[in-house]
Amino acid sequence: MDSKEIIRIENVSFSYGGPKVLENVDLSIKENEFIGIVGPNGGGKTTLLKIILGILEPDYGQVTIFGDSTENSRSEIGYMPQIAKFNRDFPITVEETVLLGRLGRTSKFGFYNKKDKVIAKRAMEDVEVLEFKDRTIGSLSGGQLQRVLVARALACEPKILILDEPTANVDLRIEKDIFELLKILNERIAILVVSHDIGFISEYIHRAACLNRTLITHQVSSLDGEAIQDLYGKHVKMIAHDHGHGHH
Amino acid sequence: MSEFFEALTSHYFLQNALLGGILASIACGVVGSYVVVKRISYLAAGIAHAILGGMGIAYFFGNSPMSGALVAAVVFAIILGWVSLRWKQQEDTIIGALWSMGMAVGILFLSKAPGYHMDLMSYLFGNILMISRDDLFLIGGLDLVILITVGLFYKQLLAVAFDEEFAKLRGISVEWFYMLFLILIGFTVVIMIRIVGLILVIALLTIPPAIANHYIRSLNHMMILAVILGIFFTCSGLALSYEPDLPSGPMIIVLSGSVFIVSVLAQNAFRKKRF
Repeated sequence: MDSKEIIRIENVSFSYGGPKVLENVDLSIKENEFIGIVGPNGGGKTTLLKIILGILEPDYGQVTIFGDSTENSRSEIGYMPQIAKFNRDFPITVEETVLLGRLGRTSKFGFYNKKDKVIAKRAMEDVEVLEFKDRTIGSLSGGQLQRVLVARALACEPKILILDEPTANVDLRIEKDIFELLKILNERIAILVVSHDIGFISEYIHRAACLNRTLITHQVSSLDGEAIQDLYGKHVKMIAHDHGHGHH
Repeated sequence: MSEFFEALTSHYFLQNALLGGILASIACGVVGSYVVVKRISYLAAGIAHAILGGMGIAYFFGNSPMSGALVAAVVFAIILGWVSLRWKQQEDTIIGALWSMGMAVGILFLSKAPGYHMDLMSYLFGNILMISRDDLFLIGGLDLVILITVGLFYKQLLAVAFDEEFAKLRGISVEWFYMLFLILIGFTVVIMIRIVGLILVIALLTIPPAIANHYIRSLNHMMILAVILGIFFTCSGLALSYEPDLPSGPMIIVLSGSVFIVSVLAQNAFRKKRF
């Protein structure tokens, strides 16, 4: 319990007007953690992310980032969406896309400064897309584009990287590449990754937060068949787990 | 054609027309590029047509139609922007209704003002040969406003055009910049009234950037190429229409539209991959 807490989710409940999508969710994420949120579709994964990012307000409970409101500290988060909503034909180069991550950190007016360019270059080096920097995003493969979006999130100089199903649209080999990359990045920043594929990511993550309306965290070592069955089966346990786990 | 160049050296109004076309192409290429990549040409056309309402009202009350156009440009940009943000579901129906109503109001007011026939045609289809010194100052001034705004907020406008969700997460007020951008579209339409008129403006706003989009890799290059193409189309449209005494606005549109079609066909034939 030595490492600093980045995100604290306390007793969060949420509904879109109907039945509760999230109920009494507690979760604490610490520096240098690599945590996976897993669970069935409709289990509330994306909703929880939106609450962490401050896009949605919880009905009950609260989320704090470095002890401050999500609104104020959103800029500490590097976010990579599940489905990029942009148009692949947009005339924008890889470098320009990554530079967008500097928004909120750089000057309000005019163009990017030298520091922005240096940080964007480093982010592109980290994910190994620097050689494509002048290509349009439309000319990239699916795996390359995912890397560019990771670089854009890194250009925010985040304390934590949040990725929503980063490998939903790429094949297995690229999925492995991307998680190897995240593993390296995890040496300096915390990572929260949402995935439906619990078996695959358990190789990489320290802790799994299993979400199906309620949230139960497991150390990866204790993630067995029974836990998965509980999560995806009809029976859902209504327990708030303790989070007093450091990482291994 | 040679007659045109001869006339150009001696006739003041032709020099004004040429300068007006060049200045207007600057705003058109820059703002039009955003319209094309953001895919809001329908919304832009709505603003363009509805502006006639403001012109008619201003004319009726004895003010300059251009001042009415400028006010209407801002008002309709805000109204249509608000509709597009708040009523996403019925956006196209509401824009269609406001578009026609703006024009209808304009025509009602113009019909009660003296000599409306002449003016109506030139507002709708432009008359580049009628550009006055005052018009040139107005066009140049609006150009400056547009270039300064785009220069100051290039990053934010790019982010909002490319990926609204990400822009919002980086703390950018997406709605504010969307509105600002629609107002810039309104200004550009006002600039284009003299050149090609309200009806044809949408073609000149979208065709040069759309052609440019076939050959470039980033938005700023798209803007530069669109400006160059715009200047080429307005100048050569003017020159081609001069000798046979044809209206210049439609000539400019037919010329740019033809080049666009050729460019689309060439793209499809070669299927060039952009790197």
